[in-house]
Amino acid sequence: MIVSLSQPYANEKIKAQQALYNVIDPELFVNVIDLGLIYEIDFDGENSITVTMTLSTPHCPMGEAITNGVRNALEIAFPGRTININLTFEPRWNFEMLTEEGRAQLGV
Amino acid sequence: MSNIHIGNAPPDKVILPFYATGAFVFWLLCLLLLADPGSLTQHHFNPHLLAIVHMAALGWGTMIIMGAAHQLLPVICERDLFNPVLASVSWYFLTAGIIFLAYAFWNMQTGWLMIGGGVLVVLSALAYFINTAFTGSVFIHYSVVRVFIFSSAFWLLFTTLIGLLLAINLRYVFFTKNHLELLKLHAHAGLAGWFLQLITGVSSKLVPMFLLGKSDKEKLLLYAFILQNAGLLLFLFDGYFLEMPALRMFVYAVLVAAGITCWLLYLYDAFRNRVRKKADIQMKQTFLSFLGIVIAILLVPFVLYANDPRWSIVYGAFLFMGWITGLILGKTFKTLPFIVWNRHYKNLSGKAKIPLPKNLYSEGLVQWQFRIFIAAMVLLAAGILMNNTIIVQVASVFWLLLATIYLLNVMKVLLHKKTLLS
Repeated sequence: MIVSLSQPYANEKIKAQQALYNVIDPELFVNVIDLGLIYEIDFDGENSITVTMTLSTPHCPMGEAITNGVRNALEIAFPGRTININLTFEPRWNFEMLTEEGRAQLGV
Repeated sequence: MSNIHIGNAPPDKVILPFYATGAFVFWLLCLLLLADPGSLTQHHFNPHLLAIVHMAALGWGTMIIMGAAHQLLPVICERDLFNPVLASVSWYFLTAGIIFLAYAFWNMQTGWLMIGGGVLVVLSALAYFINTAFTGSVFIHYSVVRVFIFSSAFWLLFTTLIGLLLAINLRYVFFTKNHLELLKLHAHAGLAGWFLQLITGVSSKLVPMFLLGKSDKEKLLLYAFILQNAGLLLFLFDGYFLEMPALRMFVYAVLVAAGITCWLLYLYDAFRNRVRKKADIQMKQTFLSFLGIVIAILLVPFVLYANDPRWSIVYGAFLFMGWITGLILGKTFKTLPFIVWNRHYKNLSGKAKIPLPKNLYSEGLVQWQFRIFIAAMVLLAAGILMNNTIIVQVASVFWLLLATIYLLNVMKVLLHKKTLLS
């Protein structure tokens, strides 16, 4: 997910991204941003945040822990806002979605 | 949350008893092996070896694999487990059944104790079959992996039914066919039907998942399914209805071996195309276990033509202790810590500093487990082939040491208390 400084809520999006660096996939030991699991973060005024994200495998046994982690991290970074998780498998996650840092952490 | 349902894993109180029981039975069977190493240097139809083999096949192999399968069915079928209560029913019946059977075989008490044990094991397999069939009954996406899971559950039920009939036959003879010939069919329905097909299906999903690998050669899995089942069905039909000569048996073994080759080629392709280059110790142990099944297959000509019971025992040892045990030792710490971690930490993720699943067990013990496994397997095979009870006894000491380390590590995970890191 790339945040452009000219887009609306750019500062908030960067803050959200920073928060999500702390959410680690328990199996791969890489954070959800560098894994490329976060597709979009949308801010709807002052009230809610909608995260469009995926999992590396549908019905991943760690899926609930990862989505809970995203929700928890954003609730701490943005107290009082409603966090919506929009889980999608379109497009399906693939290795090309890893960031350079993610690849380095996985030893690719 | 969107309308996509990511599914809930079955409750851990349903799954964890399988792991705890399996680890304990493995330790116990290694102790019995040490108590009577001579059972491995006699003909395979002896009471103590029958008890040990049933403990290995049901109390250890099936126990752990069935537990893991209940956990993985939702991942593979992409929907929730049909009925967690049935999974518990499977555990209760399997545990009670193995206690009855192990006692009855060890003391060669044919009759209601052995038959009752057989009935309980059949009921356990039936509960598992129902859960598998209904969890996988709605095909969201066609997957040959799911077909393997379903067929393996069918073969488990079939194998346990034949086992029950054999237990009845030991007391009230009704089969006209030689009991030992039927025992061979029963054993191979279990090995090539239940264990092989479940392991083929589950590993074809999990190995690429753990290695972040992929293979577009799914056709290989379809060939594997056809060949494994064709070889097994012909073997069973010929063995029961006709007088199967060694040559035809060899042809059926070649068919199954070709199916195994297709499966291993698929895994190799996923391994070659993996993102995660460094394989951890659990994956190394998993790959080593595949060597167990390859060696067992290479031994088939000796089993068929050498006319020496030692080859049958070493063949069985490579399958049960080399392949199935090796695989479980590797995969336990790829599944169990995650189940326990989920229970304690899934709601704390992103909120507090928490341990990772790998922190729930001792990685050092897993390293030792890997080394001791190699020594124990080599010594066991050498002891059986040389017909040397002392070497088998030394091997049994290694197996017991391995089982103790494994049990301790499993208990460390199971007894983990929630901890927040500072």
